[in-house]
Amino acid sequence: MLSQSMFPWILLTAAFLFTLGALGVLIRRNPLVVFMCIELMLNAVNLALVGYSSYLNSEEGQVFAFMVIVVAAAEVVVGLGLLTRVFSIGRELDVDDLDEMKQ
Amino acid sequence: MNVLLAVILILAAISALGVVFSSKTIYSALSLVLTVALLAAVFLVLNAQFLFVVQLIVYAGAVMVLFVFIIALLDPAAEDRPRIFDLRLILGVLAVAGLCTAVFIAARNDVTYDTSCTTQAVTCMHGYTVGSLAATGDLSADPFHTFGFPENAVDRAGNVQTLANQIFHTYVLPFEITSLLLLVAAVGAVYLTRRVAVEPRRDPQAEERWRDDLVEGSD
Repeated sequence: MLSQSMFPWILLTAAFLFTLGALGVLIRRNPLVVFMCIELMLNAVNLALVGYSSYLNSEEGQVFAFMVIVVAAAEVVVGLGLLTRVFSIGRELDVDDLDEMKQ
Repeated sequence: MNVLLAVILILAAISALGVVFSSKTIYSALSLVLTVALLAAVFLVLNAQFLFVVQLIVYAGAVMVLFVFIIALLDPAAEDRPRIFDLRLILGVLAVAGLCTAVFIAARNDVTYDTSCTTQAVTCMHGYTVGSLAATGDLSADPFHTFGFPENAVDRAGNVQTLANQIFHTYVLPFEITSLLLLVAAVGAVYLTRRVAVEPRRDPQAEERWRDDLVEGSD
């Protein structure tokens, strides 16, 4: 079982990963990398949820983390479908250029 | 176990840095695979065996393979490195440092959780209702928590069993909504990636100018 002294470090790592993902969303211009950074943020939230679940001896955090994984998978499918669509109509993959929804 | 956990957390943080600061997309993807696998290991250490397997299969298996396939398909050009002295980057680094410091200070000062809870034999998360029920041993009084999740519930029933109990009893409606979400995502992905003939962009003003030129030319 996890010793309680490690719990702040897990929270710290989760916060670090989340803010790193947010930083990547802000500074990267390739939409693929932006998606990966969103995945990183979702994973950080999962880490915090599972850490709290272990710390509080409750299974609910793991249920929420499971739901987050499902939502992340759905989001990746739709997002990558959008990217292939953008690529097929001949637009460059750059989030600074892709600022309108119409072709 | 603590040393192992610390090493895994540090490695995960380093590989997460690789996701954000790699110049090539494929390096970012591979760093993300490493991060996800390391977080799966953290889940295993944290006694979440089911999520460990789900994380490996769904993330490291399905999602990252999808990412790598799309990278190979689209072949995005190597992005120039993020501008180091950009104002946005400086603000982002300050945000990382500030939030990390705030969370760490709060956690060290016991702001984010109540340490007195863990000394009791019952869980804090369900509040006093289930806790007192578990303490008296009368778990059947709570219709939604079959196990009641006292401290050794996982040892008695197993991680998958307790999780399944939660998902299929307490959170059955969110679970069903999740299936709807997956269906919508699958239909949307099929719709988005269908093959269509791309029409050239129509510009009414340009057509009008072209027609005017035609009329002038005929004079």
